[in-house]
Amino acid sequence: MLSTSSGVVYSRLLLREGDESVYELFIGPQHPSSGHMRFIVRLQGDVIVSVDPDIGYVHRTMEKLAEGREAIKAIPLLERLTIIDSHNATVGLVTAMERLLDVEPPPRALYLRTLLSEINRIASHLYGMGIAGIMLNHSTMFMWAFGDREVWLQLAEELTGARLTHTYSVPGGVRRDLPQGFGEKFEKAARYMERRLQDYMRIFLENPQVVARYEGVGVLKKSEASRLGVVGPNLRASGVKYDARLADDYGAYKDLEFEVPTREEGDCMARMLVRVEEIKQSISIIRQVLRKMPDGPILSEKYLKLLPPKTRERVLQEGRVKFPALFASLKLPAGEAVARAEMGHGEIFYHITGDGSAKPYRLRVVTPSFRNVILFRYLAPGHRFMDFPAIYGSLDYFPPEADR
Amino acid sequence: MSSYVKNFGGHVRAVLTGLKYLVKPNRITVYYPEYYVEPPEGYRGMIKYYPEKCIQCGLCAMICPAGAMKMYVKKGEKKGRPGVNYQRCIFCGFCVDICPQDALEMTKVHDVAFSSLEELVFPPEKLAVEVQSPALLRGAVKVKPVFDEERGLRHE
Repeated sequence: MLSTSSGVVYSRLLLREGDESVYELFIGPQHPSSGHMRFIVRLQGDVIVSVDPDIGYVHRTMEKLAEGREAIKAIPLLERLTIIDSHNATVGLVTAMERLLDVEPPPRALYLRTLLSEINRIASHLYGMGIAGIMLNHSTMFMWAFGDREVWLQLAEELTGARLTHTYSVPGGVRRDLPQGFGEKFEKAARYMERRLQDYMRIFLENPQVVARYEGVGVLKKSEASRLGVVGPNLRASGVKYDARLADDYGAYKDLEFEVPTREEGDCMARMLVRVEEIKQSISIIRQVLRKMPDGPILSEKYLKLLPPKTRERVLQEGRVKFPALFASLKLPAGEAVARAEMGHGEIFYHITGDGSAKPYRLRVVTPSFRNVILFRYLAPGHRFMDFPAIYGSLDYFPPEADR
Repeated sequence: MSSYVKNFGGHVRAVLTGLKYLVKPNRITVYYPEYYVEPPEGYRGMIKYYPEKCIQCGLCAMICPAGAMKMYVKKGEKKGRPGVNYQRCIFCGFCVDICPQDALEMTKVHDVAFSSLEELVFPPEKLAVEVQSPALLRGAVKVKPVFDEERGLRHE
């Protein structure tokens, strides 16, 4: 049904102006299960003819706020894009800042970043699956996924000192070293998760009721997916093998072996199954990270040597970073840098422009949810209204991230 | 017909999986304030200030991303001492990490409640006093999270 004449993609709008058999339904903006946005759905009988996602209810002018403060303060600010996936949201920013500042983080710091990124990814996918479950009124899936998220939040808390707002990566490295006994704790959590994923399959994704709601619903064709610029698991579920972890060089991903799970079907079921596979891959990545992690400092030599000798010694011993005084007004040199990172929801893109002052001249963020929001318009029309929550849930759309 | 059989099997498996947890529940929450989950080492809770170590350099107030930390200058003095407005604080710990004298420290206390907004403003004198967890003061039982292959997280 997609019209692609003259290379322009039009929405699948089945509506004729002035047609009285069509009525409008406003869903939201009060928290329609996962976020703050409104959908203007037009229905003919029970069949959706068009969906207009009305975004912007949680717009916080984050790009502008970042321009008004010192560069390092943008890290805790932009964490709040996606509080459920906060390290993945900021690792791209820190990478871009490092490229601009010409700082090379030590290898151990890169491994630690990767470790926290993957813990975040698992927690983010569990969040998405839980929300998808409650959208189908499957409250068991919701409770289980949110309960099991706690295991990963606990791991992140022991590593960074905060459950969600980790503020872990800073230009030049990370703030804390691996705590004692982290490996054993992770191994227990990983074995538990692997067993729980089988339970998830049995009670949710292989449950005939859920299969009937998900299979063949909201099909996104491969050509459509790449044309619309969709990212993340939604893209990979349509058969496009694209992952920012491979496309850009950040973290320790180039030293690690992992698969990028893809599926060909492109329906809601495929999108959910890709997330399950990604959780398994993330567990395998963390196992490799813990096995291969090199010894050494966690902050770049460039900043370590600015610390007083006594403090430097202590930082190297205790594995708790102390910032040099320079960090309070870190000057960004004139120039530009870009970086990409793969979040749980897809690729996040940062473009940072410096003008020699401590504040970034311009900080551009393109978030994965902002790229994926267009799917509401394309996937829902033609389906019955009951399929709308199924499609919404499977997209793992996060409004605060899209609105910024 | 075969799809009916397959679906029946799927339903049975789903119900059995649910029943398994009905018999052996997997609860990972605890009853607060009877029990108090102790945060791990290095948890970023409320800030404690050591005035005797402080050199009044003001770096903590400079790096504070939320503008929560401010230097309070007394009359007749040139340099100030840090105080925190917890209405704004986001517990990022930047002030603690940049302090060259370790005059600031993050405690594990995080469950304090206040009855008015003014009470959330901590001038230097108040910041130097150790904050206590109200649950612990009332005699809550301390528990620690333990990772478990069977249950994910236990508290003991």
